[in-house]
Amino acid sequence: MKRRRATLTKKLIMTAAAVLILVLAGVYAFRHEESQAEKIAAPAAAAVDSSACIGSKEYMRANHMRVLNEWRHSSVRDGNRVHVAPDGRKIEKSLNTCLNCHSGNRMFCFNCHMYANVKPNCWNCHISPMEAP
Amino acid sequence: MNEDRRSFIKKAGIGILAGIGSAAGLFPALSLEKTVLPAWDEKPEPGKHRWGMLIDTRKCSGNCSECVAACHFTHNVPDFGNRKDEVKWIWKSSYENVFPTASQQFQSPGVTERPYVALCNHCAEPPCTKACPTEATFRRWDGIVSMDYHRCIGCRFCMAACPYGSRSFNWRDPREGIKLASTEYPTRMQGVVEKCNFCSERLVKGLDPACVEACPEQALVFGDLNDPGSEIRKLLESTETMQRKPELGTKPSVFYII
Repeated sequence: MKRRRATLTKKLIMTAAAVLILVLAGVYAFRHEESQAEKIAAPAAAAVDSSACIGSKEYMRANHMRVLNEWRHSSVRDGNRVHVAPDGRKIEKSLNTCLNCHSGNRMFCFNCHMYANVKPNCWNCHISPMEAP
Repeated sequence: MNEDRRSFIKKAGIGILAGIGSAAGLFPALSLEKTVLPAWDEKPEPGKHRWGMLIDTRKCSGNCSECVAACHFTHNVPDFGNRKDEVKWIWKSSYENVFPTASQQFQSPGVTERPYVALCNHCAEPPCTKACPTEATFRRWDGIVSMDYHRCIGCRFCMAACPYGSRSFNWRDPREGIKLASTEYPTRMQGVVEKCNFCSERLVKGLDPACVEACPEQALVFGDLNDPGSEIRKLLESTETMQRKPELGTKPSVFYII
């Protein structure tokens, strides 16, 4: 009887521990990015009027590569070269649209890519802001 | 023994659950805006235009290569100074190389000794696009046989398929072979195939191709083959013209007046 009770307690403790670990893992995973940003200083960006961009700063940071892929596909394959921004502005779908708008910053692209250690192969062919005359 | 096994399985189960929990946090789904942007407009109608070129070889003088220079400068085509690494979009060649299967025999020496301008024929039935395994090269809505260099894996099947030798492979980094770089057009990279694009980047701006603009004799005529009123169609109707290797059934969009 005593032994049975001990087993039950053990089981309860084990289940409680499992639930606790799961909750902790979930919480930790979801606040992962936040805690990283606190540890390492974010790269310094030049003061650019980001309100002129086709999307919010957060959207462009997360999705600029998808935007560029989508632009390339629709302009090269379908000949659809006009992007209509949410506010109704029409923009040519081109990497140069981005680079021209951000031309005040020679380190545009490089600042964040160096920080994130991302090496896109755009500049094998396209003229980068650093090389631009 | 059995007790150990049980506790191991329990622990493993907890580990897997924790793993799934953290993975779901690392790859958040639908936490951002949709990436496919809506409201596309001004999509061209496929097959409405078919760009073509007519080369009046009677006007083309022998010692001028303005068209080649203008094209190769505009598109950052490298020049390494040797045939092995040669990259060309438009070039001058002899009669027997441009028209090796021409049925006309006993042409006058003036005709057979003249140089002829050759470039991608932008065929209506292009063999190169059928050979490409990655759809890097394709026939566009306006008849231009275009290339998406991002997708080219450098297999060179298209070069083998092209009966006109219009495609070149970048054996070396092309940037080493560009003396005077143009900022109007990107370069290519080592390991991709390239060719004439009928100046599609200039057509977008409403300009004629660079070679047409550069020719001092106006020997090159560019226009819409699907428009019966265009200059090129009028010239095609009023003059006898030739195509390169018409017997192959590729239906080139580049015509020659001999």
